Amino acid sequence: MAGAGLGLGLLGPRGLLSAGPSVHRAAPYLLIPMDDSQADHLKAYGLTFRVLERGGRAEWFLNFRGGAFLVPGDGATTRDAALAGVTSEPVSEGQVTDIKAQIQQQNMDAVPLEKPPKIAVYAPPNASPWDDAVTMVLNYAGINFEKIWDEEVVGKGLTKYDWLHLHHEDFTGQYSKFYLNYSGAPWLVDMVQRNTAMARQLGFPNVPAQKRAVAEEIRGFVNRGGFLFAMCTATETLDLALASGRADIAASYADGSPMDPDATRKMDWSQALAFQGAQLELSPNIPSFSDIDGHQVNSLDRRQPLGAFKLFNFSAKIDPVPAMLVQCHRDVIPDFYGLTTSFTKSTLKPSATILADEPGAPWAKYIHGELGQGTWTFYGGHDPEDPQHQIGDPPTDLSLHPHSPGYRLILNNVLFPAAKKRELKT
Amino acid sequence: MSSRFPFPRFPFLGLLCCWAVPAMAQDPLSRAFDLERRGSYAQAAEIYRGVLRDKPGEVTALLGLERALTPLNRLVEVLPALQAAIRATPGAIPVYGVGLRVYAAANLMDSLPGLVDAWARAAPGDETPYREWASAALQRRDRPTARRAFQLARERLNRPDALAAEMAQLAAAEEDWPVATREWLRAVRQLPGYRSSATATLGQAPARARPEILAALEKESGPEAARLSVDLRTRWGDPLGAFDALTRLLTGPAPQQIDLLQGFLEQARIESTTPYLQAQARALEALAERWINAPQRARYRLDAARAYADAGERPAARRMLTLIANDSTSGPAVAAGATGTLIDLLVKEGKVEEAGRQLDRYRGALLVDEYLRLRRAVAARWAQGGDLARAEEMLAADSSVEALALTGRFRLYAGDLKAASEQWKTAGAFAGTREESTERAQLLALIQPIQEDTLPALGEALRLLDAGDSLKAAAAFERVGVGLPPDGGRADLLLFAGRIYAGAGVAAEAERLFRAAVQPDAPGTAAAALLELGRLLVATERGDQAVAVLEQMILDYPGSALVPQARRLLDQARNAVPRT
Repeated sequence: MAGAGLGLGLLGPRGLLSAGPSVHRAAPYLLIPMDDSQADHLKAYGLTFRVLERGGRAEWFLNFRGGAFLVPGDGATTRDAALAGVTSEPVSEGQVTDIKAQIQQQNMDAVPLEKPPKIAVYAPPNASPWDDAVTMVLNYAGINFEKIWDEEVVGKGLTKYDWLHLHHEDFTGQYSKFYLNYSGAPWLVDMVQRNTAMARQLGFPNVPAQKRAVAEEIRGFVNRGGFLFAMCTATETLDLALASGRADIAASYADGSPMDPDATRKMDWSQALAFQGAQLELSPNIPSFSDIDGHQVNSLDRRQPLGAFKLFNFSAKIDPVPAMLVQCHRDVIPDFYGLTTSFTKSTLKPSATILADEPGAPWAKYIHGELGQGTWTFYGGHDPEDPQHQIGDPPTDLSLHPHSPGYRLILNNVLFPAAKKRELKT
Repeated sequence: MSSRFPFPRFPFLGLLCCWAVPAMAQDPLSRAFDLERRGSYAQAAEIYRGVLRDKPGEVTALLGLERALTPLNRLVEVLPALQAAIRATPGAIPVYGVGLRVYAAANLMDSLPGLVDAWARAAPGDETPYREWASAALQRRDRPTARRAFQLARERLNRPDALAAEMAQLAAAEEDWPVATREWLRAVRQLPGYRSSATATLGQAPARARPEILAALEKESGPEAARLSVDLRTRWGDPLGAFDALTRLLTGPAPQQIDLLQGFLEQARIESTTPYLQAQARALEALAERWINAPQRARYRLDAARAYADAGERPAARRMLTLIANDSTSGPAVAAGATGTLIDLLVKEGKVEEAGRQLDRYRGALLVDEYLRLRRAVAARWAQGGDLARAEEMLAADSSVEALALTGRFRLYAGDLKAASEQWKTAGAFAGTREESTERAQLLALIQPIQEDTLPALGEALRLLDAGDSLKAAAAFERVGVGLPPDGGRADLLLFAGRIYAGAGVAAEAERLFRAAVQPDAPGTAAAALLELGRLLVATERGDQAVAVLEQMILDYPGSALVPQARRLLDQARNAVPRT
């Protein structure tokens, strides 16, 4: 972060003593409200993250003013808030005591944030930064991350990271089943060449086999205590790949042999994170993987219209983890398509916690669970501010959506691993 | 789950209902129509089913059943009735259309070829069964099956050009441009009306594929290929090359040539950049040459003159206008229009003396408003040339607010800041065009902090700017600015000069002046100067320096109204949002 750590003396002639929405006289703490008074909800997460990166401590006030943050009122943080346009309120020790008393009495909690997670985003080297909602929002909020791909994952590189994000990768190795319908398109040709070369380089017979190995490494990462956050089709295909140890679920264009017609029966769902008992789509021509996705956006006769999804209200003191993941200033959010938009409830494992669903619909939008020492969170859809996302659409400019509730949910996941661990009830 | 599109394929239903209900109140089909109209699809479907039980070949009931079940998302349930209908009336063509849609909805894609065979037997020589089959396949993005359907049609109908337009669209979707080109040509040769679709589809080809398409068209004989090539070259940014190619096609009778030229003109009007304006002008001139009717010919020449003038080909524009003037058969309205265009042209060329003479000569032929507008244009040009007395004399009798605004500008050229401000305030905010009004407001803001009532050097700088000598003007503004107190206009004039340099692409000078305009005593200007500096640094790929400058701007001037713009630019400089 450029300029982080500079003191008051370097702030120019008017500096911190000027009037302005986010520039204050020195106070021991700054309260970052996350309700409708916040000027930039997304950058507020970046501000808090950078406090932790500087070795500072913060607190997350669950359900208090939309999930507010308490950060030190030092010069660096004040300066950062002013630059980012994040609304902050100077608060004294006494005011903090009052807030905590209020938190004690209601469905609220104060969660200490201590250590910033080391973040990896799984993406091919040529991926555009604007084609992945998480990359976009991390860039916008100013949260540092590293990009990794198959070589690093298979090479045990995940051990360096606390938090891993997957977006629209197809872990069944079928190029999102675009192969037949977009044959010849330059971007697809590039994708096929890049994946084939990587499989060969890593010593796998074909792309589906290599992607399954990657999926298993990711499963191991979670099992060892990693935090996994996946969106779009990575959610569904990761579990399909994990469960497909005994069945060929890839079309012949991907691995040279047709899909096993009995693949659905042969799936071993005990290996999957979130799903079970799904029916696989056997046709290579239909760009759908299974009935896990409730919306089936690319299958014209099955596609379901978009509605809105509602976040569940969890007890902050008893269920702090899901409560952290659903902190938002809106509890009903317009839905958005992705190759996998939602998760059919009948295919969810009983251990999965539904964080948000569409009332009355048979699908969930946002789910969470645990495996071994770690956790996973799946969020359906591609881009919360581009509901109909089509290939070739212009990139989303998040400076035009600083209050995006859909993007806030992503950032909840980024900060949640920073929370000090304690006995959790869920 | 109910469908989101209750009637997408049956827009005629409402009409049928209006006709059917009063006349056939007791008829079951009529009752079913009425139920459909009221949205009771399930009940309507039951009635249709009842009719079909008695008369399996009743096509109206079968179509009704399809309509009623579609919004219920239960189209598959038509299947038994459909099979009975085919058995009962194998020659009824509409039944096969229903069949195809139902089979596709039921995912019975393997059964479609059999149904298409039966349909083809019932309607020999008809392309429809194959087209519908391909359409069902394409809805599933199954292009190989769609292609198979088209090829089968060609074999069975023994017509190599059957379904050419459909085949062309399929090839275009697969980015197989040579095949798409060949198929579109076949389609256009069959039916010339396909030309616009062919141009639209092939026109979307990526730049790398375009030479291949033009080469494929070159190889083909006949006017259709040449015309398609002209259309595509026009669309792809080579309108002049396209016009040259078009002239080679102008060999038939005059009406045919006029048709070709008008078609080209329509295409060339998609843009107003110089080559397109040049191509438009040439086409208009060529049209005028081929037109016998004198007033129409004069109108084309006038339009050609304007296009030539806009494209910067002033001699050609004058040639057109002279032809109109020498043609006694041109109507008075066209002659007046030509005169106005000619005077505008002369003003732009700086031939202000000649423009004034023409204005006096044709005063009687011009409409009053047009005459006054031209007189103001001539006066403005005199003033920009430095002859303020002559300019003010020309406008002495003009009491319009536009003239008042213009004479205010002349006062500014003379350095009389006070008089200029007063005249502009009297003229009001709405004199002239929106751009002129905005520019006056900006100039008023520029001179407002200056204490002096008269400042001839500033007027001279502005005159140079209006006369188009940007670099000399910027230097003059800077000279005036450094002589003023920091809070008395210095910062504003330095910022203004910096903007002129930036607009002219002289980045180093612009940067120097933007930095110089950051004066602690002029905080409003300082914030604007830092923002301009940030923009310049981002534009010149110096992101790190831009970040530092923009951070300084936000922190030092947090109350500035420009802070949101600075934050957005800061995001762009950090690559945190896409650059727009």
